[in-house]
Amino acid sequence: MVERPEPADSELVLAVVARDDREAFACLVRRHQSLVRSTLRRLAKGDHGLADDLAQETFLLAWRNLRTFRFDARFSTWLYRIAFNAWLTDARKRREVLLDDLEKAPVADEALPAVSTAERMDLERALATLSDGERAAIAACYYADLTHEEAAVAMGIPLGTVKTHILRAKAKLRAKLDEDYR
Amino acid sequence: MNESLHDAIDRLLREDAGRPVRDDGFSLRLMRTLPAPRVTRPWLRPALVLFSAALGSALAWLLAPGGISVAQGFVDLARLQSQTPSAVVALGVALAMGVTAIVLAADDS
Repeated sequence: MVERPEPADSELVLAVVARDDREAFACLVRRHQSLVRSTLRRLAKGDHGLADDLAQETFLLAWRNLRTFRFDARFSTWLYRIAFNAWLTDARKRREVLLDDLEKAPVADEALPAVSTAERMDLERALATLSDGERAAIAACYYADLTHEEAAVAMGIPLGTVKTHILRAKAKLRAKLDEDYR
Repeated sequence: MNESLHDAIDRLLREDAGRPVRDDGFSLRLMRTLPAPRVTRPWLRPALVLFSAALGSALAWLLAPGGISVAQGFVDLARLQSQTPSAVVALGVALAMGVTAIVLAADDS
């Protein structure tokens, strides 16, 4: 028996727009929830509750605005842009909270196969010390798997700034982790 | 960790990013929060347009001076006699049907 290939994102989007197809949207959510939530967890400095609230807001906004999706970018890039804006809006609201709590231990996650818990905790803590822009660039390029160009468009900043953020972030992570392992 | 911290950081980030987040009911909860499905009545708009056009045509027919026939109007138009009262009424009916067709076609697309 030949298995039916999974429909592409664009087909699912069209099904939602044309027929209000909820099963197609559920398929999009299941497919992208991991990427959106893990990216938002990094942006939210490991606060899983906040990240999931923002992920929910992201998908609801995507649902409402799906007609504006133009198919000239990947669906995941479009989704990241919504997630990033949701995080940014929330971060502006709670600016005071974002500026402190750098020592707060991140919430522990389920078991992980390759990276040890200690390494991951160190990484989460180190990521939390980055500036919002640096963390957003790392989240976009590593966790949301965007190219530098896509990240620049999604974040609404110049490509050079994204590259600078990435370089600075890695230098800071290097210094922080080197200090931890010394 | 000193061997090549740059590579190690890259590896850490990529491996951390590669860990899937389990759904754990997230998708289901989200789907429950979506607004209720739209109640669509696809027949309503075409029905209104057709009814308005039919009503307009019937009124035009009833209120037209005696002796005017739409059929005669189309015959007059075919003979390139567009100035007769019947031809004017026929043109009006054709216009109403054309507008109806355009509205329905636009609605469909």
